[in-house]
Amino acid sequence: MDRQSHADISRHSKETFVLNLADDELILGHRDSEWTGYAPILEEDIAFSNIAQDEIGHSLVWFSLYQEMTGADPDAMAFKRNWNEFTCCRFVEYPKGDFAYTVVRQYFFDIAEQVKLESLLDSTMESMSQTAERLLKEEAYHRLHSESLLKRLGNATVESARRMQSAVDLAFPQSAGLFEPVETESELIKAGVFKCHDALLNKWLEIVVPSLESVDLQLPVEKRDGKYKPTCTPDFGGRRGSHTAHLKTLVDDLQKVFRMAPEAQW
Amino acid sequence: MDTQWETYEVFHQSKRGDPHEHVGSVHAPDPQMALQLARDQFARRMKCSSLWVVRSKDITATDYQDESFFAQVVDKSYRDPKAFDAPDKLEN
Repeated sequence: MDRQSHADISRHSKETFVLNLADDELILGHRDSEWTGYAPILEEDIAFSNIAQDEIGHSLVWFSLYQEMTGADPDAMAFKRNWNEFTCCRFVEYPKGDFAYTVVRQYFFDIAEQVKLESLLDSTMESMSQTAERLLKEEAYHRLHSESLLKRLGNATVESARRMQSAVDLAFPQSAGLFEPVETESELIKAGVFKCHDALLNKWLEIVVPSLESVDLQLPVEKRDGKYKPTCTPDFGGRRGSHTAHLKTLVDDLQKVFRMAPEAQW
Repeated sequence: MDTQWETYEVFHQSKRGDPHEHVGSVHAPDPQMALQLARDQFARRMKCSSLWVVRSKDITATDYQDESFFAQVVDKSYRDPKAFDAPDKLEN
């Protein structure tokens, strides 16, 4: 391989990696915003609306970094792309479900984000490590919020335990998508941009498994050689553009107002 | 069945040394969650250095009906420190 094409692959892999992060935040942020006006209690309605704005704000931070790398306008990335051009994992596409599902998904996502951002702190890409440091500060509160709800709902009543366990059963295989290996993974690791998804998954499991077990929630994992291993089939596909129809519905909704008046100035 | 959580009164302090001021209330299942939810309602836009929460039912209050509690029957205006200017800030 000549040097030029090697540099191209490396550049492309970094861009895609940043875009993955931006898309995950944007789509989950939109899902969180769907609780505005509907959450089971007023205070949680406001909390989720707040978190939705934060996640969408984080997506803008990543889209802006993507813009520095490629020139692509963040608004165009959000409002002009076809739904099947998004690179989010499937996990964030699924409908918001009941409040238990939302809490479990948000908890899984928050811990994954924390683990990912912490690993990016020593990325060789300086813009990457700086962004991670910035976002980690705000992420700490998200984690506190979702963890508090998880711990209180996990085994509070028969009804809450039933709902939380169903949510875990549904969300756990889906959440593997957050750690879906990407095509250019070896490039990214070689360049020191990023640590491998498998290593991050291990870190994530070391936090998530004991936390769920502490409130009697069961997970499909086994411990081998001192490491947790999921025993279910991971729900992969999002990173290579294999999405669910739920994403199409979501993106239609996300882009509806923009499409009514694409040239409007706000 | 009442499915609402208990209410907590929220006290907000803008900067260290200022008094905590009552700003409203939140529903929460326990004091720690009350602090977190109060953060979303009252500390997100206002500058905040500290929050207090207290269960609403733990507050003992006077009754508006019981006017005699505050009744003043003779003129006590001579006790009011009217003749002094009390500046907001003292200079030294």
